[in-house]
Amino acid sequence: MKITSLRDLPLDTAPPRDLWPQIAAQIAPSATDTARVPGAAGRMVRMRWLAAAAAVGFLAIGMWVDRSFLPHAKVDGGGQSLITQATPGAAATVDVAYVSDPRYQRQRAALLDSLQARLNALPPGTRAKVLASLDTIGKAKQDLESALGKNPGNALLQELLVNTYQDEMRVLADVHNASTAGEGI
Amino acid sequence: MTQAQAQSERVDWEAGLVNRARAGDTRAFERIYREHSGRVYGLCLRMTRDVQLAEDCVQETFINAWRALGRFETRSSIGTWLHRIAVNVSLAKRRKGGQVESLPEDDEGDSGEWTLETPVEVREIEAAIDALPDGARDALVLHALYGYSHEEAAQMLGLAEGTCKAQLHRARRLLRDRLGMEVSAA
Repeated sequence: MKITSLRDLPLDTAPPRDLWPQIAAQIAPSATDTARVPGAAGRMVRMRWLAAAAAVGFLAIGMWVDRSFLPHAKVDGGGQSLITQATPGAAATVDVAYVSDPRYQRQRAALLDSLQARLNALPPGTRAKVLASLDTIGKAKQDLESALGKNPGNALLQELLVNTYQDEMRVLADVHNASTAGEGI
Repeated sequence: MTQAQAQSERVDWEAGLVNRARAGDTRAFERIYREHSGRVYGLCLRMTRDVQLAEDCVQETFINAWRALGRFETRSSIGTWLHRIAVNVSLAKRRKGGQVESLPEDDEGDSGEWTLETPVEVREIEAAIDALPDGARDALVLHALYGYSHEEAAQMLGLAEGTCKAQLHRARRLLRDRLGMEVSAA
């Protein structure tokens, strides 16, 4: 290609390899430090506990539903819930863009649409546990979203929120899959 | 959508990314990296003439930028700010290998639009630029290629404006000799 002005020379030159991984490795400790600034520390600890509570809630209900309604889950689970396996893409769908990802939104809306009917079919004790778990997750989401509103760039809060959304999706998927398996829900 | 609107949206979008990155969001900073790494690498490569050194400069530029994000004023252009850091890093790396030459000052002025008498192959011009002495090449790249004013280019290079102009004068003369044609600075 021939040119007559030096302004026409290409300015963008892609590096021969992706340099981001090395940059990310260098700046990662700084990102962690940012999340630990005074004042945010207490909130961060509380968020960790909330997320942990949501995770424990999910695990409890997941294990309970798994054992109670899906006995075959242990056949090939190797410690991993069959319900989780039955919803490939659920975790993958929930990524950084969890709020705006249309696939995630559609899947969540579909699960929520049928949730009440499926909950109504549950034994009262089971229903209470599922609702308590979803309530814990909901509160954790609200707190994390509120904290992110004040500190939108906090990578740790973002990760915790994504994890909480994933937990919610797993509980919804567990209820859905357990009921469609015809095991009494 | 007009070009001005598109530019305005881009600035807003970048300002949002910068704000998120300043708050510690490494994903937002990665978006900034993806958006600007090509131009920064192109600048570093032209200044260092060494692929490995240019890669090092790009990494150092973005690491320095991350650490200094708190001092960045969002009303400025993040691209220009990154270029300033890249120039500093490239100059520092190059200084390790040799002396910085000095030139008398010159008061020649131009708008930064450098044109050639007849069309020339890109690779031929690139080779001619590549063969320029460091100081002349730096001034030429920032002023004639990246479009920075004499003042901006001089500031980035840590030179007096007159010295930057003298380097440009020298670059034009050397390019003219190398390409065998007139190189006009409008």
